[in-house]
Amino acid sequence: MIEIQNTTRTGQGPAMFTRGLTKRYKGVAALDGVDLDVPRTAVGLLGANGAGKSTLIRTLLGLIDPDDGDASVLGIDVRRDPIGVRRVVGYMPEADCLPGDATAADFVAHMAEVAGLPARAARQRAADVLYQVGLDEERYRLIKGFSTGMKQRVKHAQATVHDPLRVMLDEPTAGMDPQGRDEMLALVARIHERMGISVVLSSHILDDIERVCRYVVILDHGEVVASQPMETIDEGGGDLLVRIDGDRAAFIARLQQLGAEARPGGEFGGPDEVIVRRDGDASHDAVRDAAADLGIALRSLQARTRSLEDLYFGNVVSAGERR
Amino acid sequence: MSAPPATPAYGEIYDRGYRHYDGEREGRLHAIWALARYSMARALGIKKGWTSKIIPILLYIGALLPVIIGIGIRAFVPTFNAIDYGTVFVTVFLLEGIFVATIAPEMLCPDRREGTLPLYFSRPMTRGDYVSGKLVGAALLTLSISLAPAVILWFGRQLLSGSPFAAMRDHADDLGKVLVAGSAIAFYLGAIGLMISSFTKRKGIAVGIIIVGVTISQALAVSLTIALRGTKPWEDWVGFISPGLTVESLVTGLWAPSRGRVSPFAIGAGLPATLGVMALVVAVCCWVMYWRYGNRD
Repeated sequence: MIEIQNTTRTGQGPAMFTRGLTKRYKGVAALDGVDLDVPRTAVGLLGANGAGKSTLIRTLLGLIDPDDGDASVLGIDVRRDPIGVRRVVGYMPEADCLPGDATAADFVAHMAEVAGLPARAARQRAADVLYQVGLDEERYRLIKGFSTGMKQRVKHAQATVHDPLRVMLDEPTAGMDPQGRDEMLALVARIHERMGISVVLSSHILDDIERVCRYVVILDHGEVVASQPMETIDEGGGDLLVRIDGDRAAFIARLQQLGAEARPGGEFGGPDEVIVRRDGDASHDAVRDAAADLGIALRSLQARTRSLEDLYFGNVVSAGERR
Repeated sequence: MSAPPATPAYGEIYDRGYRHYDGEREGRLHAIWALARYSMARALGIKKGWTSKIIPILLYIGALLPVIIGIGIRAFVPTFNAIDYGTVFVTVFLLEGIFVATIAPEMLCPDRREGTLPLYFSRPMTRGDYVSGKLVGAALLTLSISLAPAVILWFGRQLLSGSPFAAMRDHADDLGKVLVAGSAIAFYLGAIGLMISSFTKRKGIAVGIIIVGVTISQALAVSLTIALRGTKPWEDWVGFISPGLTVESLVTGLWAPSRGRVSPFAIGAGLPATLGVMALVVAVCCWVMYWRYGNRD
């Protein structure tokens, strides 16, 4: 009989920890020296297709051998004890992975047995978990007759049937219609909030992460470009949107001389707009001084909150410029 | 005025809530056995439509019926002795080949085609455990069709003798040989079938390759045996490229004195060499499968 270590259950130590994690495919870095220290909460793994999200998840599950670096999940070393990691983690892959000629109840129960649950407990757990994902009546139907949304729920059920401490969901809303997507996100939130299972949600959709997660990791070209709690996205950040009446280029140059980070307004902004990175009172003082020095009239000054979108594009663009 | 009774309204829905599992968790052997059982059930068409069940059922009937009829005739005609153990194994070999061509692809191909492999590999089991589970499942199923007819024949013969218990004691060596032959053939054919199936996700292709492969190898072995006649040691070993001739060599080695008919293309390498070659084939097939599923990229 297998015991799950108490330290793993009690939630000490990071949920995911990596140092210099690297994986290359034919010379192309899918993961390039990834350093992470992620707490046990609902974590969003955000990045464009090909950013390295799936590779990171599969490496953390011990399904892929990294070329270099170390990784641990819930305090368990992935390289030394991949079986131990998989005992306490559930995984929902992005791609189709269900046998069409099995019933949902049979397949989920089988997955529970393979995860170590005795046969009777496995059947009971399968019934419970399928009820939790909203497939109570349909569980005795063949999976091939299910809609995309129902299949996603079965995939979700098999990921949680062995009562893991953490589930890794790879693009769980892929291919779903808006209503199905809403329901799936609600289900993911429920896992974390009501079932007490911490979640890693991989997605390229900002809204999915914003709605469910409390911590975000942004990947781009195999590199971590941001890793922080969602509530700190706006902290010390955000922008000032300044509208002026005068020479915008000179105004920006003066702001930069005064130590402020300033750039012209966005693609859809007006020609009189300047965006200044908020930095406490200093940025406001710089705007005032620059306007006074150049004799430019300030038409408006508005503080903008920083969204996940700003964080994503800001970091991904910066990372792209560095490369 | 008294408060209304606190009985729930008709049709009220209760949230059962989520309950954590704090029961037993078994180890990898349990996972391997669970995988083997599930694979066997799928291969036999259990919990599937009748079309999935019909071929295994017909093959079991085909393997068992001649033996049962033979025993039945012998019950009325004691001198009737048309079926011996060697004949049973050689006759059943054809059905066994079809059986393996049916179950082995069914066990492996859908997991690859339907993308179920990542789910298995994300469970607390190794890739080797996955292959082991499939091997155990295939071997047990092949064993059932390989052993059952000969075991039934053995029991039938002893029960029809004047003193069944004494006959069982006197012919225990035959039962031992039956178990050796049945197990060797089951693992040998099962491993070949699974190894071939591990290279494709299409069941039809795997079935075709197994059946065509066995047929071609038989023809090739016979041709080479004729061509190499008188060329030692090739003449004694070339027949091993055919599963059919290998099985016949095993059976001849075990029951040679009682078997009158020996194929003109029989392998001359002897019983130990035959068992050694079969074990080697099983080992190579297992190695290929572990290599095939062990790639962690």
